[in-house]
Amino acid sequence: MNLLDLLLLLSLLTVVLMYFYGHRREAGWLGVAAYAIQLLVLIKLYSYMQSDRIIVAHLSFSVMEHILIWGMTGLGWFFAVISLGAALFASWYTAGEWQDTQKNMRLQHIVLSLNVFAMLILLCSQDFITLFIGWELVSWASFFMMTHSGGKAAKAAYRYLIYAMSGAVALFAALVLIMVKLGSTSFSVFWAALPTLPDSFLWLLVVLFFIGFSIKMAILPFHLWQADAYAETPGANASFLSAISARMGLFALALVLLQPVGIERLQHLMMPLFTFVDARTLLAWIAALTAIIPTYIALQQSDARLLLAWHGIGQGGLMLLGITVGTPLGVAGGLLHAFNYATYQGALFLAVTAVLHRTGTTDLDRLGGLITRMPWSYVVLLLGIIGLAGLPPMNGFVSKWLIYKSLLDQGMPLLLVAASISTLGTILSVYKLIHNIFLGQLRKAHYEVKEAPWSMVLPMLILAVIGFITGLMPGLALSLVDKAQMALGYDALPHHLGGLEWKTGSLNMLWVVGILIYGIAIGAVVFYLFGGRSHKTHQWDNYAGGHFLSAEVPYHYSHNFYPGVMRVIGGWFRHQTLNVEMGIRHFVQWSAELCCRLSQVAHPTLYMLMLAVAALAFVG
Amino acid sequence: MDTGELLAKPDILPTLNLSELALDMVLMPLVAFIVGLALVLMMRKVRASIERRVGPPLLQPIYDIVKLYSKKTQISHGYMHDIAVMMLLGGYIAAEIFIPVPGMDGLASHADLLTLMYLLMVPMLGMALGVGQTANPNGSIGISRALSAMLAYDVPFVIVVAGAALVYGTTNLSEIVSLQQQQGWGLVQMPLLAIAGLLAMHAMMGKEPFEIYVAPAEIATGPMVEMSGKYMGALFVMQCFQLYTIGVLYTTLFLGGGTQWLTFLPKVFAVVLFSVSITNVFGRYRTEDAIRWLWKWPTIIALLGLAFVVA
Amino acid sequence: MMGPILLIILPFLGAFLLPIIYRHYNQAGYWAAPVVLVISLVICIGLWHGVNIVGPQSLVMGGVSAPLGIVFYVDALSILFVLVLLVGSLILWLGAWHRRIKEEMLLLLMVGGGSGLVLSGDLFNIYVFFEIVAVASYGLSASRRGDPCGYAASLRFLLLGSLGSAFILLGIAIIYALTGTLNLSHLAMLAPQALHGMAGLSAFALMLIGFAVKAELFPVNTWVAEVYAHAPVRISALLAGIVSKLAIIVVLRLLLLLYAHEQAYMLLLCIGVAGLITGELAAFYAKDLRRMLAYSSIGQLSVIAIAFSIPGTLGVVSGLALALHHALVKTGLFMLTEKWKGSISSLQGMAHSAKWPSVLLIIFALSLIGVPPLPGFWAKFLLFKAGFSAGGGYSYAMLLILLSIIIEAAYFFRVIHLLYQTPAASSTPLIPRNKELQPMLVISGLLLLVMLTIDPIYHHLSKIATQVVDVQAYIDHTLPAWKSTH
Repeated sequence: MNLLDLLLLLSLLTVVLMYFYGHRREAGWLGVAAYAIQLLVLIKLYSYMQSDRIIVAHLSFSVMEHILIWGMTGLGWFFAVISLGAALFASWYTAGEWQDTQKNMRLQHIVLSLNVFAMLILLCSQDFITLFIGWELVSWASFFMMTHSGGKAAKAAYRYLIYAMSGAVALFAALVLIMVKLGSTSFSVFWAALPTLPDSFLWLLVVLFFIGFSIKMAILPFHLWQADAYAETPGANASFLSAISARMGLFALALVLLQPVGIERLQHLMMPLFTFVDARTLLAWIAALTAIIPTYIALQQSDARLLLAWHGIGQGGLMLLGITVGTPLGVAGGLLHAFNYATYQGALFLAVTAVLHRTGTTDLDRLGGLITRMPWSYVVLLLGIIGLAGLPPMNGFVSKWLIYKSLLDQGMPLLLVAASISTLGTILSVYKLIHNIFLGQLRKAHYEVKEAPWSMVLPMLILAVIGFITGLMPGLALSLVDKAQMALGYDALPHHLGGLEWKTGSLNMLWVVGILIYGIAIGAVVFYLFGGRSHKTHQWDNYAGGHFLSAEVPYHYSHNFYPGVMRVIGGWFRHQTLNVEMGIRHFVQWSAELCCRLSQVAHPTLYMLMLAVAALAFVG
Repeated sequence: MDTGELLAKPDILPTLNLSELALDMVLMPLVAFIVGLALVLMMRKVRASIERRVGPPLLQPIYDIVKLYSKKTQISHGYMHDIAVMMLLGGYIAAEIFIPVPGMDGLASHADLLTLMYLLMVPMLGMALGVGQTANPNGSIGISRALSAMLAYDVPFVIVVAGAALVYGTTNLSEIVSLQQQQGWGLVQMPLLAIAGLLAMHAMMGKEPFEIYVAPAEIATGPMVEMSGKYMGALFVMQCFQLYTIGVLYTTLFLGGGTQWLTFLPKVFAVVLFSVSITNVFGRYRTEDAIRWLWKWPTIIALLGLAFVVA
Repeated sequence: MMGPILLIILPFLGAFLLPIIYRHYNQAGYWAAPVVLVISLVICIGLWHGVNIVGPQSLVMGGVSAPLGIVFYVDALSILFVLVLLVGSLILWLGAWHRRIKEEMLLLLMVGGGSGLVLSGDLFNIYVFFEIVAVASYGLSASRRGDPCGYAASLRFLLLGSLGSAFILLGIAIIYALTGTLNLSHLAMLAPQALHGMAGLSAFALMLIGFAVKAELFPVNTWVAEVYAHAPVRISALLAGIVSKLAIIVVLRLLLLLYAHEQAYMLLLCIGVAGLITGELAAFYAKDLRRMLAYSSIGQLSVIAIAFSIPGTLGVVSGLALALHHALVKTGLFMLTEKWKGSISSLQGMAHSAKWPSVLLIIFALSLIGVPPLPGFWAKFLLFKAGFSAGGGYSYAMLLILLSIIIEAAYFFRVIHLLYQTPAASSTPLIPRNKELQPMLVISGLLLLVMLTIDPIYHHLSKIATQVVDVQAYIDHTLPAWKSTH
């Protein structure tokens, strides 16, 4: 019984424990302990993750002449760390006061542990069949997570189901095609055959794999389902979902197609009509567009959770972009971004849920000024949005820098511009988020709001601080990424604790953050030393053009926060993809009705005669 | 490109002279401040001469700052308001230490052009947060417009930066300077990008016609509506730093930087002079017009320049 | 070697004697039918072991040997389906049943006829037993008392079925005219020369139409939705799950022995594809759980037909796997509709009062859609392997099947989604009764057992497939003496 067996067993045990004890108040702490133990096992596995080593579990089946084994490589290990971390913090969040507000906490605990188990199974796949089995388990587990609370979440989850089944069907087709063509479903056979596969067959496979995996990642044009589904899932589970669930698609796509061999082959795979574009450039541009368009859709949202969910879709595009670049720098950037994103997005979702807990709403047009009432939540949200926007000193900046640098080094300036446009949109959007919730005028209805309880503040604060620390010392996170990168087949990125030395421009976050703190210290010295003492004024002691302010006067600029930008770009968002989706739905409904009416005939024997005539004609 | 080629040195941190570093950390912001004061003075003198006035005396900017700091009433709307002011100053002070100037390289080898670009957004974010806490919608509208304008000018600016990085093959600012010393100014190598960069940087300075975020008569000076006393003083200091930074950045990228102050400073002043000259004869674009204009002409010129660079 | 005879005779005897037993010994009559089935099952299991050890057997009736006499051919395929028939009927006997003599008689007749159908070795007997099964099913489908819609539905079923039987007879007549014999193995010997011409293939087409009525293939399957909607639940389950499979197995036999010809395969493929599209789409539109399941079973049977239309052992294996899986799952699903009949929107929120039935519904639905590690996934996996290996038009058929999986998931989970919502204020909870749950639990137990023993089952099915495809072995087993002299 090796460490991987232990890990899988512990995960299964957690599910069983949650089933029996999930209704108790201590279930949250039980979850924390369980996930912490699993995380410890994973950390022990760190030293085993050499570049070619696979830890094989003793779980193995032989079915219909296929032998299924499960084993973990560095890539799976990396994503497992993120999953377990996200689950740990989500469980911690629910351990205290928050669980009293939920109807069926036991079910939430069960689905969380089920999701973690399913993800571990997926991350240990060693050939296409085990990949498909794990993939289905993860899809259904996340469907369960989205749908169990009913209401709007269930509707969004149903839409997700249709998308997920379409993806699964595409994967199934790809799996069988590979098996029929190559005679085996093992990854190594596929990678070995990749350079010599004929172009048309490879295009079919690439399209099928892309459809299958990008539905989970919500890459354009399959992105419509994710925002509603993730936003409506209740609280802590939403943070888990948005932190890691979509990245399973990234894991699978990177594993199957985006190894050095794969990238090389994709670069020689030209598009049928536009023969100057190769598959890899196409993929990179799709990723870039996914980074831009959903970010600007997020800009327009007026619900905090929807805003964050749309940003999740955008950041996923950036991660894919990094990995598509195909150099150690780019791949490190993409993978590191997955890790960084999990930290700050988890913190952001938890902070917004804390606001929801205290005020009862996440509508950005109905909140404001909560900084005085919920200071810790504000700090967490602030750190989170700095990370999301990708500004120093948070970790989001480091991974984005790596991606930008790799794009420059590879001579792809337009993609750099695209990624920067996405970042700019993010900055606008997150400022709106923090402004509408925490800054501005405090509304009368929220005067009595208290800070969220410590059981909720601590986990999200720790997540945000982890983001800060990995921003200050990115070497810590990069050593995790090294394992994943080497498992994928790339060289590890040579880095040190503060960043990396690079011929075309280095980055040392220790110095950057240090000097930033030094600068702010000088600013503080100037502020306190010079000038008199400042005295605090009330929010109504404000310039109002001669009017007097009072509690009844809403004096907050929150609705339609960027009218100038909206006037320029608003007309460009004409729901094109949504219309296509609705069109498909209507077509299916219409043809379904047609088929049903076809079979409701008064004289069915007429059909029989028609068939007889047709069959005889066919045969004759 | 192979990782091996791109590794610069085997040891982890470059050997730094600690005393030199300490000197840089104090001097660079100080020099920036002083030159910035001079730039503000130049700005007001130019405006005065266009308006056929004498203009303020030599030390006027210093008088302004002292006046603001010695005001008796200093109102604060909360701790974020205070921290914002510290972030404003701190962000720019930090940025100055990463921009190489003649004689002082500072820490330019630890942070490159991309880092600088995003580091410069930290003071803007700080100001936005502080203004947010003042709970005045005029301020919030101002910030909204400022951010929209940032979206507008950063698009051509990023294209320019990408093109410049491609041409020089590096994003390390000191190396860019030394490359220009050998190969000739960036202005000569990539004229289109330089023009687009100048236009974008003009917008970055927030001068007419891109002054919408301030809009004194419309939104009561926007972000500055609840800033007075030392807060306003800090904003004033920030303006000095801002002019200096933009001028130096443009000089470093396109005008060859400088190996000594005598050749360096005139270039910086020339850049700012260009901006403040045209600013005085323009009205103010609305936000959406600013966005549309910046996304049209400078972007097209930048993309053309980029096409020439890549080809 | 009386086994096959007993398998056929005993149920008939039971059916004829049942009214007499009931009149005199009411208590014994209660148990008579299940006892007959159990005895048949024991004989069947004995035969199964025999076939596994020794190999296929053929039994000659009345001392007149083939090709003139009646022959019964017991091989792994036929005995498997007799087993399925018997086990299925027994499972559906579980739970209280209104002890109605006429229904029990018809059921026993159907069991006997079905056994004969798969065991016979000549066309005439196939026709006779098929007719018995058909008439029994017409009667059973109308057995719900006082339901005028049920009468109308079964009347249409009768019309279609009778016309179909006439077509079968026409086809048999054409074959007899072409070859002069009705014995399957003799026909197998003569088939390549005599039957692969235009006349022979038209005979196949006509017979296919006839069997297609029972096998729920397009477009003669319009009876399915109506009959299943109005017949008693267990009858629908039996018809959908088991009897339809018997019909398709007969088609498979004909295809393999007589008509291993490209056009015949193509015909079956086209009918299967058309049935798949219309069946699954109609299920998507259905507003009533029973009709939805009925249309769904049309779609699934069309998939089985497509599987059988793939030449080679892979196609046969996948078809068998799909057929067995569908027999298991559909039967279980139909049991739910006893209480959950009526429009789907009335099912809102039922999961809160009927927990276990909903969970069972989810498990069956997942298996039908093909979610690993449930058995349905492996069956579909085999099908796609076969289809994509065959290439050409079969790849497009596989593509359509893949798309149909999405639609299946959509309509099943629409129902499940509705079940788990909050119930409408004025609705009364509909909870399936225990007597329907008992067969469902047994079936789900079997499903889990299958899931754990996929490998041995796959090997067994492969053996069956290789045995069935081997036409020469069939001829050798049934006509040893005759062949040596001719």
